[in-house]
Amino acid sequence: MFDIANNSEAHLGRRGPSPATACGAHDHVTRRGFLKTGALAAATPLLAEVPFAAAQSAAKNVTKVHDFQTSADIAKAEQEGEVVYYGHDSEQGIAILLEAFRKDFPKIKTSYVRLQTGALYAKITAERSAGRFGVDVLQLSDISPAIDFQKKGGWEQYMSPEYAAYKPEYQSTPAGYFGVPGVGFSGIAYNRGKVKPEQAPKTWKDINNPAFKDGISVKLATSGMQHAQWYVLRKMFGNDFWQEFAKQRPKGFDARAQLFDRLAKGEDRVCALAEYAGYTLYQEKGAEIEFVAPPEGMPAIAIYVGVVSKAPHPEAAKLFVDWALSKRGQAVYQNQKILLYGSLRPDAGAMPTGKKLADFKLLFPTDMNDYVASHPIFVKEWNSIMGL
Amino acid sequence: MLVLYPIAYLVQASLSVGDPQARPPEAYGLDNFTGLVRYAHIFGNTLLVAALATVLAVVVGFTMGWILSRTNVPGRAAFEQLMAMPYYVTPLMGALAWALIASPSSGFVNQVWRALGGQGHLVDINTPGGIAWVMALFEGSVAFVMIGAVMKSMDPAMEEASQVLGAGRLRTMLRITLPLVLPGVLGAAVFVFAEMLGSFSAALVLGLPNRFYVVTTAMYQLVSQYPPRFPTAAAMGVSLFVVMFAMVWIYRRIVSRGTYVTITGKAFRPRVMDVGGLRWPFLAVCIAYLAVAVILPVLTITYASFQHLTTAMPRAANFTLVNYKTALSLDAVGSALGNSLILGLATASLGVLLMGFLSWLIYRSRLPGAGVIEYILMFPQAVPRLVFAFGMLWAWLIFPIPIYGTLWLLLIAYLTVFLPLGLRTISGVILQIDRSLEESAQMCGATWGYRLRTVTMPLLKPGLIAAWLLLFIASVRELGASILLMGPKAKVITPAIVESWFSASTELTAAMAALQTLAVVAALVILFAVARRAVQQGGE
Repeated sequence: MFDIANNSEAHLGRRGPSPATACGAHDHVTRRGFLKTGALAAATPLLAEVPFAAAQSAAKNVTKVHDFQTSADIAKAEQEGEVVYYGHDSEQGIAILLEAFRKDFPKIKTSYVRLQTGALYAKITAERSAGRFGVDVLQLSDISPAIDFQKKGGWEQYMSPEYAAYKPEYQSTPAGYFGVPGVGFSGIAYNRGKVKPEQAPKTWKDINNPAFKDGISVKLATSGMQHAQWYVLRKMFGNDFWQEFAKQRPKGFDARAQLFDRLAKGEDRVCALAEYAGYTLYQEKGAEIEFVAPPEGMPAIAIYVGVVSKAPHPEAAKLFVDWALSKRGQAVYQNQKILLYGSLRPDAGAMPTGKKLADFKLLFPTDMNDYVASHPIFVKEWNSIMGL
Repeated sequence: MLVLYPIAYLVQASLSVGDPQARPPEAYGLDNFTGLVRYAHIFGNTLLVAALATVLAVVVGFTMGWILSRTNVPGRAAFEQLMAMPYYVTPLMGALAWALIASPSSGFVNQVWRALGGQGHLVDINTPGGIAWVMALFEGSVAFVMIGAVMKSMDPAMEEASQVLGAGRLRTMLRITLPLVLPGVLGAAVFVFAEMLGSFSAALVLGLPNRFYVVTTAMYQLVSQYPPRFPTAAAMGVSLFVVMFAMVWIYRRIVSRGTYVTITGKAFRPRVMDVGGLRWPFLAVCIAYLAVAVILPVLTITYASFQHLTTAMPRAANFTLVNYKTALSLDAVGSALGNSLILGLATASLGVLLMGFLSWLIYRSRLPGAGVIEYILMFPQAVPRLVFAFGMLWAWLIFPIPIYGTLWLLLIAYLTVFLPLGLRTISGVILQIDRSLEESAQMCGATWGYRLRTVTMPLLKPGLIAAWLLLFIASVRELGASILLMGPKAKVITPAIVESWFSASTELTAAMAALQTLAVVAALVILFAVARRAVQQGGE
């Protein structure tokens, strides 16, 4: 199995394209070479021009609370008494996350705004441009707005002591702007009652099987995961792969719940972007669905969390980020089935399914310059494939 | 100002041709409008479902309005109350229910059809006709309330005169009733058509599975993508103004051509026609309408809310209470539901005053430029609320009074976006009241305030009550504007319900929608009981 923790060839946090994707064209990339370099895209080579803040608050006054470390002033954080969180997860997922934090810090109230990443980012940037700074912690599901926010000075540079448990490539460049509290990934899923065993998809190329025409679903261009899948499979199989897929007349939806709801009810026969987290939820409900982890690997993306600059409750915000990145917080991100983000911490336990992130062969975009630059092309092509 | 202030930002965004995220825009041009050509099929889809749904809704609204206001159908008082029920059933709930009932593969009807030996599917709700059907059912009751209010205020002497002169019931209905309630019908048609243009939930739930987009669902995608394409979405919204203005212009032309006064100084008591044996077919029509618009969807949603995974023929193990347990644990069903009810009360009460005054200003004050005011007030109806909300977000963010992120902002937003709803409902009745009644009071020496209190207001009462009810429900179920404008401490329920459909499950969504509907009905029952007691005590 692909071991993400040991993937030392990955150098996504460094400026410039990786050797495997040097020209950004698929014909220069061997599949083997591409897969070997698969790793996390958290770091940001685009940001070399961002000046490293001289006043980096690196690891000073580190204290231990519960079983994690923080540089936040806990007394002040409790005096602030509140943390305002903007996030992309489901209402239920955010509620569980914040409740777990509140349980550990009962003197700190939590409140949140939940929107899809695009609208969420639009809201926070509009607020900040009008001089309103009401947010303490921001979590995004896409690297592009995370980088843009860093360029705009939106993140506070805070060196969480918990970053020590993460490889440098799983942090922003320079470090301290945002961290990666989890990873999501997708395979293929199908309805056992609608797809005969001999027709069941096994590899990514099988999603283009004409037998699935008008019965296959994916996500819309709003999804960061969909961008990652489009990107890595395009690199692997060439541009024609998705043009072939367009002939299937795929149906696009906003979220995984809709994809699995329809798959479980037999409205779609195959889901070509089946998130593992969604699969486990619906399998538990007794849905007749099967998950396929194609041998080529599964497209994966990270989520990003950090302290927002000019936060109204800065110490509480730091404490939250430390908690989120700690083993304690990661247990919530990873073990709550509504979230089920794989942890990048080497000391993280297994997921509720009994598997660790390292047990899966994951495909991360490798060349971040190329990946971020490909976003507008993806949106245009994917909108067209979806009939928009 | 409520309307034009955000509109200015919206128009500005539609002309932005630089970085789509830059505020204020880096450069101006018409590229966003010329680029809309590639979305021509989406405008076509929108007009198709809006027109289909409007025709259906107005036919249903008129038929039901006439049956319940003008005929002696059995149980009409009860039916009249029940007719508002589809409006309590939010379009999202209706769409989800009909998706469960009539989806091609898993729809209950089609499952039963195949169990009986049928092939394929009997019905498919994921079609333009299906979307229009759901939109008409759940937006159609607005037409009923609007037309019904007008019909109630009509002097039956005219219909009686027609019958005395030998015309049959149908002829009387078509030649006398229909022309007299024309302002109400047209007002409802204009309003419903605009409502359908901006309809979101039904097209989202039922259109996406068939790759069928309308303007609102396309806009939603454009502003949800990163980077959000506000300029294109704003241009789409602004271009809908043209359609809306054409509709208002037609409405004003028709209204200004004739006189629709039915309430004059001559006393009348609303009476109903004896339709003889036709009472029973009419009763069947009422029951059938309520079955498809209320009973079936509510039962379906309730049934789904108690299941792990909804199927027509579930195993016993599939039944659960977990959806309610989860729903009740969420902020959305606690504080947000309370906030929604408070906002509903405030919007309806303030809205009736504000919109009643504006209706009087437009149709009674002889103020120069009153027509222009009407056009301006219809702006919020012309553009989908999600996009209008961006205009309001930009506008109120920089407003010096710190209301951003509070319930006050949502109140302002609701009063703005529901101006057309209140205006259409109240003005339909105002047009029926003969000016001479107010003038007579004036001749008798009554002051402006006294005239308003003793003459105008009592005559407007049915329209005002209808408007209050509509505004209350519309506020509680509001989605588009609330999504962006609610702050972390000022949340409302409907966005959370839609969000749970996106990110949780149909079953949890069903539980939340059921709780919302229950709370709204309970609030209204309590309100009416309190109001009735207050009126009785006042009379004693």
